[in-house]
Amino acid sequence: MSGEALLRVTGLRKCFRGPDGAVVDVLRGVDLALAGGELVAVVGRSGSGKSTLLNLLGCLDRADAGELWFRDERLSGAGRRALARFRGRHLGFVFQAFNLIPELTAWENVLLAARYAGRPRAAAVPIARALFERLGVLERADHFPPALSGGEQQRVAFCRAMLNGPDVLLADEPTGNLDADNARVIVEELRRARSGGRAVLLVTHSLELARVADRVLALSDGHLAGAGA
Amino acid sequence: MTALSAPGRRRGRVVPRGYGFAIAGIAVGMAGLVALGALADRISRFIEGGHRFVLGQISVAGAGIGRGAGFTAGGLLPERTLEAVRRVPGVALVQAQVMLPFDPGTSELFSVNQELVLGVDLRVPTPNRSYPSFPVAAGRFLVPDDRGRVVLGADFAAARRLRVGQSLRIAARDFVVVGVLERLLTAPDRFAIVSIQDARELWLELDPLLRRLFETPGGLAPDDLNTGAAVGWAPGVDPDALAARIRREVPDVNVAAPGEVARRLEASTAFFSWLMAGVGGIGLLIGGLSLSNTVAAATFERIRDFGIKQALGATDGQLLAEVLRESLAVSLAGGGLGIALALVAGGAVDRRAAAAGQQLFLFSGRLIAFALGFAVVLGAVAAVYATARILRVPPAEAIRRGA
Repeated sequence: MSGEALLRVTGLRKCFRGPDGAVVDVLRGVDLALAGGELVAVVGRSGSGKSTLLNLLGCLDRADAGELWFRDERLSGAGRRALARFRGRHLGFVFQAFNLIPELTAWENVLLAARYAGRPRAAAVPIARALFERLGVLERADHFPPALSGGEQQRVAFCRAMLNGPDVLLADEPTGNLDADNARVIVEELRRARSGGRAVLLVTHSLELARVADRVLALSDGHLAGAGA
Repeated sequence: MTALSAPGRRRGRVVPRGYGFAIAGIAVGMAGLVALGALADRISRFIEGGHRFVLGQISVAGAGIGRGAGFTAGGLLPERTLEAVRRVPGVALVQAQVMLPFDPGTSELFSVNQELVLGVDLRVPTPNRSYPSFPVAAGRFLVPDDRGRVVLGADFAAARRLRVGQSLRIAARDFVVVGVLERLLTAPDRFAIVSIQDARELWLELDPLLRRLFETPGGLAPDDLNTGAAVGWAPGVDPDALAARIRREVPDVNVAAPGEVARRLEASTAFFSWLMAGVGGIGLLIGGLSLSNTVAAATFERIRDFGIKQALGATDGQLLAEVLRESLAVSLAGGGLGIALALVAGGAVDRRAAAAGQQLFLFSGRLIAFALGFAVVLGAVAAVYATARILRVPPAEAIRRGA
């Protein structure tokens, strides 16, 4: 680790009930600490619970058991409003399916993050412009997502994730739907994102992609184990 | 940097993108609601107009089962009887009238709202307190010396495309149209109003038996040819009590007290009142279900957007405010479009119906304001309900379900 633990979970458990009523334990007591300035990859086969772990870390779902801390703030048991504020101010998400809102332009999608975080538009606009420029999507800013290629959508989604300068960036198979060139751009951005004390968690089934990480952890049978750097 | 020359320029959109189908759905429901409401209002106005009229005067006819088509069933009301009515304490005005079917060949059985010729004694001010004068839309009302002149109700004139200055044949006589009344949405819309002298002559021409009686020496005088009279009461007099006194003190009359007539009218129009309530209720049900279902479905469809926005840090309050803003815009757009559709469709139907002297719809400001308010409130309720349901789903699940 290259800094203090920003996000920490202990004893994280999550189970789901299948269509046949059977209970599936996806996470069976996961411990993980993400430090500022490090890029951690979690690998595992499909269905191993990688996305579930990322959702729990991102407070997009509730764990059945376990504790989640951000610095010295306990997030487990926090109210909906507190969790929403935490997500807006401290987290950034990059999803495999981009998850842009199709009725908004690329520009509006990105500025939405500032609005929900309570940041003044005037302060967010120059940052958004710089991000769009850096990721090469400035000319596409007024386009709606369906008019953008997959690579462009993911770059816009990356701009959105980075707009508020999150402390933790959570990326779920961020290159899963991209061609090689666009994947390279995103990988480069993930590496760049960890600078400045930011923690980056990358969830992927691709060992090749995981190689960019400082630390690689393997999720198997609901447990997380070190898989080497 | 053309793309960002006006960053976020689409923020000014009044109606959010992607709601076209929802707006169309709401519009159809609201058009149904407004059209049915306008139909119900039209029926209601007709009944209310009748009530106002009968409550504004005491209607008197002679004893018997009647020959003309007066407000009160009865026989001839001769002048001596009218004089006796005038002498009853409390009576302020007595206006002799002759009411005849415009088309004597039409049985009332086939006419819910018959066209009538109304002859009024123009030397006496109209005693009816609800209609002390008929509002004239074009031309003028009749004056005491008018002969061979007619003032038409709005529907009567529209059905024949008659205007001031044109001629109307009643029985075998031609009358010059001197005025057309404003549309009252009640019985006088289908009246042709003439002087009582003209009406008496028409009556004699139309009724051979009456003519024979009239020509019999020592028989009827012209002033005796009345189908009824409108009686006005002096200030402070109870009209129902006065009607009872006329009945007691004047022999050989049928007297319709305002209160009794109103009750009878209410009973006879109960079917229409219930029909109106039913039509209005069905309109509310159809419009309400259509609107709430459309808004709720449109909100549920956006479950993924909710999950994404929550991931970006949106609070429940922010999402609810957004949804309410959107539902307001969508409901107003759909409601406005639906009202416009109903106005266009209803207007087209009414233009066709006007050829037969009918108006089926009454689009009042009250109805339109109610429809818009209904759309906004119900839209907001449906949106809040759907949002509350969605917010029970964890953001990760919302994103997954909407994918």
